[in-house]
Amino acid sequence: MKTSFVERTIAGLSNGMDFAAFADTSAQARTGLLQRVDPRVKVAGILALIVAVATTHSLVAITAVFLLAVALAVASRVSPMDLAKWVWMPVLLFSGLIALPAVFLTPGDRLGSLPVTAQGLRTASFLLLRAETAVSLSSLLVLTTRWAHLLKALRVLRLPVVLVVILGMTYRYIFLMLETALDMFESRESRTVGVLEPADRRRLASATVGVLLSKSYQLSSEVHLAMQSRGFRGEVYLLDEFAARSVDWLWLGFFFAVAATAAWVGR
Amino acid sequence: MGGALMFLVENAVFRYQGVVALDGVSLEIAEGKRSVLLGANGSGKSTLLRILDGLCYPESGRITFRGDTIDQASLERDEFAQAFRRRVGLVFQNPDVQLFNPTVLDEIAFGPLQMRWPKDDILKRVEATMATMEITHLKDRPPHRLSGGEKKRVAIASVLVLDPEVLLLDEPTAALDPRSQSQIIDLLIGWGGGRKTVITATHDLGLVEDIADDCFLLQQGRLVAHAAPSVILKDEALLRAANLIHEHRHAHPSLGLTAGEHTHPHAHRT
Amino acid sequence: MHIPDGYLSPSTCAALYAGSTPFWYASLNKMKRRLNTQAVPLLSVFAAFSFVIMMFNLPLPGGTTGHAVGMGIAAIVLGPWGSILAISVALAIQAIFFGDGGITAIGANCFNMAIAGSLMAYAVYRVIAGGAAIESSRRVAAAAVAGYCAINVSALLAAIEFGIQPALFHDASGAPLYAPYPLHIALPAMMIGHLTIAGLAEAIVSGGVVAYLQHAEPALLRSTAPGAAIAGESAGWSGTRPLWIALGVLLVLTPLGILAAGAAWGEWMPEDFSSPAARQQMAAASANQAPPAQAPAGLQRLATIWTAPMPRYAPPMLKSPQFGYILSAMAGTGLIVLAFLTGTWIFTRVRR
Repeated sequence: MKTSFVERTIAGLSNGMDFAAFADTSAQARTGLLQRVDPRVKVAGILALIVAVATTHSLVAITAVFLLAVALAVASRVSPMDLAKWVWMPVLLFSGLIALPAVFLTPGDRLGSLPVTAQGLRTASFLLLRAETAVSLSSLLVLTTRWAHLLKALRVLRLPVVLVVILGMTYRYIFLMLETALDMFESRESRTVGVLEPADRRRLASATVGVLLSKSYQLSSEVHLAMQSRGFRGEVYLLDEFAARSVDWLWLGFFFAVAATAAWVGR
Repeated sequence: MGGALMFLVENAVFRYQGVVALDGVSLEIAEGKRSVLLGANGSGKSTLLRILDGLCYPESGRITFRGDTIDQASLERDEFAQAFRRRVGLVFQNPDVQLFNPTVLDEIAFGPLQMRWPKDDILKRVEATMATMEITHLKDRPPHRLSGGEKKRVAIASVLVLDPEVLLLDEPTAALDPRSQSQIIDLLIGWGGGRKTVITATHDLGLVEDIADDCFLLQQGRLVAHAAPSVILKDEALLRAANLIHEHRHAHPSLGLTAGEHTHPHAHRT
Repeated sequence: MHIPDGYLSPSTCAALYAGSTPFWYASLNKMKRRLNTQAVPLLSVFAAFSFVIMMFNLPLPGGTTGHAVGMGIAAIVLGPWGSILAISVALAIQAIFFGDGGITAIGANCFNMAIAGSLMAYAVYRVIAGGAAIESSRRVAAAAVAGYCAINVSALLAAIEFGIQPALFHDASGAPLYAPYPLHIALPAMMIGHLTIAGLAEAIVSGGVVAYLQHAEPALLRSTAPGAAIAGESAGWSGTRPLWIALGVLLVLTPLGILAAGAAWGEWMPEDFSSPAARQQMAAASANQAPPAQAPAGLQRLATIWTAPMPRYAPPMLKSPQFGYILSAMAGTGLIVLAFLTGTWIFTRVRR
């Protein structure tokens, strides 16, 4: 049965909320390895690894970092099954599809009688491996760090405070919007009998977006008043909660050492 | 018991998108009093609360707080604004509007951060307030993972942490389950005896006598009555005109009561 | 399209981060100056809105569905600077938290979609809408076209970013290190999907939402409609003549493409390897590396597979290359649209 765009949207929105719930639970696992590391160290370290993976010319180095990411995930109570479901499969479907033609189309040295070139295989491997490794690394960050802490840790990258505050508020209100949108679609779904005409479908979609837009405007005005009521006059501040321990410095050293090695090996 | 004059409202008129929300309202609030702004939806009570909190300004008339005029000009002065914002706190009807930070801890700390208090002070006060409102176990939760009652308690905490002299509450029990409602009511009762000046806007007649010593009845932007709660609650004609009650016939068959004269059953806690 | 990690080289990513930063800073300052304390809550809530919109499946003609970014709506309601920030924040959260788009590619995605997209949408909207009344149908059309152009400009930029990767970044054996397809594959591959599906989605959502706001909340349309005529005074479609003229001028100027020296890099024919003039061109375009003495065997074989009906963009019958170029441009776009419409027509027939 053909699913309507409403059903597909509902599925997409619910999926987003499910992932957020999963990430939040995962980030609180008390016995996880990375959960206990200072968020600032994780941000700097994992970013260094991602950059190294993007820079290196060595497939071996990329694979090694990928395996490290998997190992760290398992040690942080994230099962490979979950990683596969949320992270690897979507990337495989997307980047795999894009990388596949390159195997045949890239000019170079043919392999035997197949219309495949060695260069094509290398190029496809680079694309797919880099994509998978990078997402695995960023998932590590997200699955072992609570979003509020992750945001504050971004300050270590010299992001302006106002931007961190905006990111936090945006994230918070994404959930309100997701719920509102889901409610609107679900109530419409239950009231519709049969299939809508195409023009009506488009009008429904536009109207839903329009209603969300109006609510957004209203919400932002109200939030503005609430902020002012508690003293907001334009300056934003963050409550600094981090205290690095010596083991955190060791982790930082570890991340940077691996990143440097990966980049140097494939220079 | 007459304390100092906290609020003086003189002939406030406020229009919103062409509709008159307040049509020349005048009232006085004394220090330490607990007052209720009683009115149906659209009576202007929310608007009045926001005007008292300096969030919008009447197009004519004036508001003073402890003798100082509250208007756009006065709230531009940093020192005055900061003091005012700390001394007067407003709990909005919709908690989602008031919980805009990523976690409960951040939310409660927002006000103190704006007041530029030292970090250790802030953490101490936040922890004390969380204990009072019994939400310490929620401190790392994001707002979208809180129940309605929890959100309300966090919203109240976020205002209480500043230790305001005046608490303004807009429909504090709306959309809450009965247990959460009674918790809030207990709080409001607890602020009696001159501990804080409290002004609550509500249309819930059942609340009024418990939480207030003084009642202002609003109808379509006008103040139509000002008296003790017991006086106003007895005046059925007045309440009907203000759209706060209506006549209806019903029975409680499970209790053996037939349609007609009867009192409504409820439980008491002594 | 959200570019993932690994598709663009670090230097490309860095360049696009550097290119985006001045826009980010300028936008933030402008918003703070215009809105003062309201900037923070407005941008946050709109970024959240933007994020959620990108997850909607939108129904398109022919029964397909597509996703829109919301550049048109954001630019029309918030103005270009607010739109740049709101969409950038949404993209950043998608990348960091949901893995949709790469972390190293945040600068690139923001540059293509948030920045170029917003500016394009705003410019096109203002030009086409002119001084029309807030409620006029001209504004709806302007919004639709603005959304369409914006998403295609974003796709074009992404396609160019992809297309230059193989030439610039390959390892010693010649294998491309990042995006593996050269321009002449990347461009059509990206553009076909966006000129049709994604473009339609963006157009429909932009136009549809403006139409909705016109009767539900016209005040939200006011900030990007200075000097809009009052309802009743007809501004309608009058005054659009300059636009059609501008479009015509653009079409006539497309032959300027011929002036771009010689053949595009990588788009040589086997014969070019034997012609000294062409060889010189190749060398000059390839950092002075001499091309192989003979055309690579693979190239020779593939070159004869397909003889385009319009070789070198000049239909055989026409003598004037310039005229042929224009005609090809129009025919090319028309063919794409026709193919798409035919395809969906067939698809819906089959499904019923």
